[in-house]
Amino acid sequence: MITYAVKKAVKLGATDAVAQLSKENRSQIRFANNTMTTLQNWETEKLELFLSFNKCIVSTTIDIITKKSVDDAVANLAKLAKTARPKEDFGGIAQGPFKYRKIAGGYDKRILNCDLADKVDGAINAALKNAQKTAGVLYAGEESVELATSGGAHASEKGTSIELSLRAFCAKDESGHSVSCSKSLSGFNPEAAGSKAALLARLAKSPVEGSPGKYDVLFDPMAFADLVALTAGFASAFYVETGFSFLADKLGKPVASPAVSISDAANMPGGFGTESFDDEGVPTQTTDIIKRGTLNTYLHNTSTARKYLVKTTANAGLINPSPRNVVLEPGPRSKEDMVKNIRDGLYITNVWYTRFQNYKTSDFSTIPRDAILVIKDGEFVGSVKNVRITENLEGLLKRVAAVSNKPEWVHWWEVETPVYLPYVFAEKVNITKSTM
Amino acid sequence: MVAGDIAEFALKAAAKADYAEARFESARSNEFVLKNGVLEASETSDTAGLCIRVIVKGAQGSAFTNMLGKPFVKAAVNRAIKMAGQCVKIAKMPIKFSPESPGKANYSVAERIPLADVSSDVKIRELVNIDKSMLATGVNLPARFLTLRDETREKYYVNSEGSFVRSKIPRVLFDYMLTASSDGKTMQRMFSFGASAGWEAFKKWAVAEKLAEEANLLKKILHTAQPMPSGELDVVLSPELVGIASHESVGHPYEADRILGREAAQAGESFVTREMLGTKIGSDVVNVVDDPRLPGSYGYYLFDDEGVKANRRYLIKNGIINSFLQNRWSGASFGIASNGSSRSNSWDAEPIVRMANTYVMAGEYATEELFKDIKKGVYIKSYMEWNIDDKRFNQRYTGLEAYLIENGELKHLVRNPVLEITTPVFWSSVDAVGKNVEYVAGNCGKGEPMQGIPVWFGGPHIRLRKIKFGAHI
Repeated sequence: MITYAVKKAVKLGATDAVAQLSKENRSQIRFANNTMTTLQNWETEKLELFLSFNKCIVSTTIDIITKKSVDDAVANLAKLAKTARPKEDFGGIAQGPFKYRKIAGGYDKRILNCDLADKVDGAINAALKNAQKTAGVLYAGEESVELATSGGAHASEKGTSIELSLRAFCAKDESGHSVSCSKSLSGFNPEAAGSKAALLARLAKSPVEGSPGKYDVLFDPMAFADLVALTAGFASAFYVETGFSFLADKLGKPVASPAVSISDAANMPGGFGTESFDDEGVPTQTTDIIKRGTLNTYLHNTSTARKYLVKTTANAGLINPSPRNVVLEPGPRSKEDMVKNIRDGLYITNVWYTRFQNYKTSDFSTIPRDAILVIKDGEFVGSVKNVRITENLEGLLKRVAAVSNKPEWVHWWEVETPVYLPYVFAEKVNITKSTM
Repeated sequence: MVAGDIAEFALKAAAKADYAEARFESARSNEFVLKNGVLEASETSDTAGLCIRVIVKGAQGSAFTNMLGKPFVKAAVNRAIKMAGQCVKIAKMPIKFSPESPGKANYSVAERIPLADVSSDVKIRELVNIDKSMLATGVNLPARFLTLRDETREKYYVNSEGSFVRSKIPRVLFDYMLTASSDGKTMQRMFSFGASAGWEAFKKWAVAEKLAEEANLLKKILHTAQPMPSGELDVVLSPELVGIASHESVGHPYEADRILGREAAQAGESFVTREMLGTKIGSDVVNVVDDPRLPGSYGYYLFDDEGVKANRRYLIKNGIINSFLQNRWSGASFGIASNGSSRSNSWDAEPIVRMANTYVMAGEYATEELFKDIKKGVYIKSYMEWNIDDKRFNQRYTGLEAYLIENGELKHLVRNPVLEITTPVFWSSVDAVGKNVEYVAGNCGKGEPMQGIPVWFGGPHIRLRKIKFGAHI
């Protein structure tokens, strides 16, 4: 059907056409107060069409996919294009055909046959060894994508995934949160996620009111993933042009400390967000976004790349290029070694609700939630609550003093782009709290 | 099959479940994006699908599909029943719904200028004109991002208790994000207009004029705003600030599913407990409600997505916690009826407890009276950055357009006042409430998978006494 859609569009005058058919069969178990609250299953399909008619860009999504519905959709788009205005800087889509390398670790049939209730039960029971209450979600399923373009690309891929996010609670204000995400069953460890969340909840015993000031902070991967994912997203050429990025006009300039190297490893074997081709059918690659603190490139599709006189980074989004697997390169030290060397600081284990005052300057605040542990002379000596990180993202990245040596996958409700990252130590992090 | 047939067929196929409901939804939408004066994308979509939700031996299961042939629908129903049955072992607290009289209704929102009659050409021309009006001010606006979206959503809901609700709601939304720049400094502004109405709503907003004013204002803030004074100050907040505060620190913590812990791993819990009903949370002049029935509102509906009739929910009455937002599950847990707060943003999402239009009710003061006896204070009219912790106890708003008040008069602009304050102190510090209620549109995020749902939030101007301001960076 996708080839038919592309041919039909070209016949009606489209200068570029991309058709993408996605199918999904995915299940979810949600739980709270140690009991399942709901089970849900999605079996869906959709066809997305992106067409340009002499640089007038139009698109649609249809989910009743028949020859007639495709004919109607293409005809509607041709009509819509007549009223659209040309996007003069549109540089077209990639010209194929392309050869695709099969990327290992993306499909595990065992995920589709495993007992999901057992996995949830295992995670809850592991957490209850140290905590009193749990809440969370498990997803598992399979999805497939097939794509054809007027540039001669034709590609298809299917993958599986399984992930669990669990928050554990002891007494009031004592909580911890952890996740486990994998494309294969062997990489999935729900019990470990449950245990870690509960351990953090226990360590957060009887938190006291935090105080504003500048703190040396060890960030758990859960906590720093949000900031790394945002940084990688801001590298999109689209966001740079719309004012949603502090990385504008900073190519080749320092935007982080030399300890920070961030890439999009879209072709990483077993990566949680790995795809073998982007939304215009270009084989994916690994792109260094920030290399030892210096901004190396923006993320591009073919059109934005032509505008910037570079090659595509295979990150289409046909309108907005986007990262797939964001990786923060590990450093040489262990997390334990990093903790040992903190004389007076905080261990922040999770953040949420990150909001910007100004995307160009990157002034923002975000709220630590779950365990916030106090570190004195390399030991956890207590916990605090009710504080906020009020910072400048570029400034914070420049104050990263070290990253640990073992990365972990983070993907959950707050972090939509999968991030593979270790623990991060940053100096003089600005902490504020309610004044009254 | 047509909408009704699909939903009825699904409900019949689920006859062996203890409870079943089927919701068929279709949506026709158009979206136009103008980036820096250039039409970036024109999108038109027709989507439709079915949600079937069942309870089997106390376990709740849902299946979502947009493959709408009978065999697919039957397979989806069977999946929901079978999987719910398989998970009974981890359903340690059986799901029960509050008893409700079956909803029976067929309603729609009237459009004076039907969205379907407005061509894409007209919509694109409006966007281009808005952009031109901003540029005509001469303000340096290096980044301008405008989005115009319209959608007509139809729902067909039936359940095994005899509910039948059919609705058709058109909605229009206009979003913008502007960056103004001068002497190496930048300032940004995001805002949304939204309504459940036809094209007449967009015309009423007079966006081109408003954005030209906004451009001039951003320039003025960049050039003339002075540092915030220190010390305790009185504060007057505009409807825009009052709206976000009522949504974030009253609406959300009064969602009963949060209070019961159902959202604990996602949007969080609540500092409010069921034992706090009837206790004081604000001053006597604070009254906050949530009302889905406001004509033309962005969060408008008359029956929720469990077939329950919608009514106004009085959340805070004279400063006292009066009631929570309830669906049928949370209502049963509290031993009371649902108050029609169950909403889903699409056929592929479960209905959960949501706000609709949350606002502070009008008081007795004319706006200018609120300023009169302030010796030294700040008037915050708009904001950019905001957030609140997941229990909704610590909230923060960083002002964008804000003025110093001295001896009852507005003086110069002040830069980025930061209101970082706990929820009980915020609402207890209110000593006067204005007469004129205004609303702001937003898409509120909650649920897993995330559901953005249309809402309004608002109120009149309010005055808070003796507020200690926070720090920027």
